[in-house]
Amino acid sequence: MAIEKMQTEEKQQVGRRAILEKIASAVFASLVAPAVLRETAEAATVTETQQTSPTPQLPELPPPQPNEDPLIRMMRDLQRALKKPVEQRRWVMVIDLRKCVGCKACTVACIVENKLPPSVVYRPVLEEEIGKYPRVTRKFLPRPCMQCDNPPCTPVCPVKATWKRPDGIVVIDYEACIGCRYCITACPYGARSFDFGDYYTEGTPEIAPVEKAPSFEYHRTWERKGNESPIGNARKCHFCLHRIERGLLPQCVTTCIGRATYFGDANDPDSLVSELINKPNVMRLKEELGTEPKVYYLV
Amino acid sequence: MQAEAMPITLPKWVKPVYYAVVGLLALVGIVAVIVRLVYGMKVTALTSPIPWGMWVAIYIYFIGLSAGSFLMSTLVYVFGMHRYEKVGRMALLSALFALFGGMLFIWIDLGHPERFWFIFTRWNPTSVLAWECFFYLFYIVAILCELWFLMRCDLASLAESETGFKRIIYHWLALGFRCPKTSFEWQRCHAQSMKVVRTIGIIGIPIAIGVHGGTGAIFAVVAARPYWYTPLFPVIFLVSALASGAALMAFLYAFFGKRDEDYPEIVKGMANFALLFLTIDMLLMGAEFLVGLYGRIPEHVEVYRQILFGPFPYTFWLGQLFFGTILPVTLVSWQRTRQSVFWLGVAGLSAVVGIVAVRLNLVIPALVVPVLKGLDKAFFQPRWSFHYFPSFWEWASTVGLIALIVLGFSVAYEFLPMFGIVEEKFSGGER
Repeated sequence: MAIEKMQTEEKQQVGRRAILEKIASAVFASLVAPAVLRETAEAATVTETQQTSPTPQLPELPPPQPNEDPLIRMMRDLQRALKKPVEQRRWVMVIDLRKCVGCKACTVACIVENKLPPSVVYRPVLEEEIGKYPRVTRKFLPRPCMQCDNPPCTPVCPVKATWKRPDGIVVIDYEACIGCRYCITACPYGARSFDFGDYYTEGTPEIAPVEKAPSFEYHRTWERKGNESPIGNARKCHFCLHRIERGLLPQCVTTCIGRATYFGDANDPDSLVSELINKPNVMRLKEELGTEPKVYYLV
Repeated sequence: MQAEAMPITLPKWVKPVYYAVVGLLALVGIVAVIVRLVYGMKVTALTSPIPWGMWVAIYIYFIGLSAGSFLMSTLVYVFGMHRYEKVGRMALLSALFALFGGMLFIWIDLGHPERFWFIFTRWNPTSVLAWECFFYLFYIVAILCELWFLMRCDLASLAESETGFKRIIYHWLALGFRCPKTSFEWQRCHAQSMKVVRTIGIIGIPIAIGVHGGTGAIFAVVAARPYWYTPLFPVIFLVSALASGAALMAFLYAFFGKRDEDYPEIVKGMANFALLFLTIDMLLMGAEFLVGLYGRIPEHVEVYRQILFGPFPYTFWLGQLFFGTILPVTLVSWQRTRQSVFWLGVAGLSAVVGIVAVRLNLVIPALVVPVLKGLDKAFFQPRWSFHYFPSFWEWASTVGLIALIVLGFSVAYEFLPMFGIVEEKFSGGER
């Protein structure tokens, strides 16, 4: 209940800003020309759905073609979803285990995208060996955050610093998190890590500048210095929220060499992910816990 | 009074040496806390998969000690077992300092200690941890009120009889209260105090149960960890809290209690309570182990394997089983040792130390077992390790802060009137 309240508060704040922008643009437009009025009003509505991005510039895509790369198709799906209000989107990830070769490019790309320190990993790849020589194979299971519909990690937070957004993504407010790590123990998937403030190049003559580069999670610029957030906080995968709200796919999806990871809006029946998850060869991890994960595995 | 309260057999040099050692360790603790605050959580050996370690274990240890001590005090003030009257104030004082200890340890464990007050401004009603913090607050108020009402007459009279610095302190602590001078009026005042103490004690019982049962519930509600996720978990927390409280009282009273005609009976009584609760605790733990192992759920069985035969088996075999159970139970029940106050005190100390191992084994082994098969081999970084042994600074801060709490308790114990002075003056002849 409290989480809902926070979300409405957030919406109210956005609403206020959008209203102010609308008023400002209306005053400006009435001075210039009625034709411009329509455009600015449109821009304002987009801002409302984007929450914190003032001028979202969605990437331009080529016209649809048969047999096009699934990445292009998913970006088209993404842009369609972004036109809807945030609460009508339902972001899901689909991972085809038959296609995953275990290169771990997604793990690394994610670390680079979010500037993750050594204690934090959003998307490790779990490996399992099946069978015995000569009949032997390996199974690779990338494990992002499941973005559960019933997340066990959010109710345990003593300070309401983590919650599920209307579009289903479970986020953390770094500025509110006190670092008690209760959520880390509560996650049945081990999807949360703690930022201890280490660096990969610690103990060498100089900490690599790339490690001190800011991360842009949650549409903010997070500098790494001292004990400031996100150091000392719980951290988790957020489906690259800062990318998807600007029309880009999550970094792990973009980087997957085998096109084994898919991403999109499950509320859109025409999206690629909707096509993939409504089939019998779909499974989710630890469904018996009632967490309702939004990461689907194709087997 | 002080000469009487201290063990008669101890030579004179023991006290200054004791204070020097404890004071030095406390200093080490303060330095370690400063290091931790300046350099952040990276001074610990914790990892992302094992985010709770020794500090959290010591936190629940102290909370248990506190709740146990408090409940022992209610024996006197609520349930009217007046033969243990002289333990009452000691139990409340140790409940207070143990609670300070618990809060200190959970505070340094926070990733952002400067934000601890968010718990009250951004309180989340669905979080057990958030509820706990409110319980601790109520609990401190209850203990402080009880202690003050119990001691107000003694403090007021000390403020008059003492001189210099002590006089000012006692005056402050009495909060301007003036004790009646005549015996009759004192009787009335005393009756009033005891009534207030009894009322607070009654309110305090559910709070103390909430404080430690709730601390157990922090773990018991985590469905992701089969070892924690059992309804017995909060009950075990409570029973072992009572055991540690009774054992602490037996130890403290045996070595630092008032040597009068009641003295051996009080120590025996406390030791017997410790025996009772240790036995129930053993029974519950046995049930947990057997049911858990019989269930054969891999993640559950693996935790028990880690406890019994993992990298730190001595925590269980030596700490939990020998010092925490077998030694105290034997000392209290064996014919030859149960008559000796000294050995009963040793039994108390042994249980108090052994229960530290119980707390370590309640927290850490559950985290050592990966929640997903293969998670431990998915990412190779020291901070993603499923192995945990406390770092130097964790040890230093733990030992040092425990010393700080012991020091605070010792000073308060020497300074405050632990045994009714005025009461003795007025009712001494009646006995």
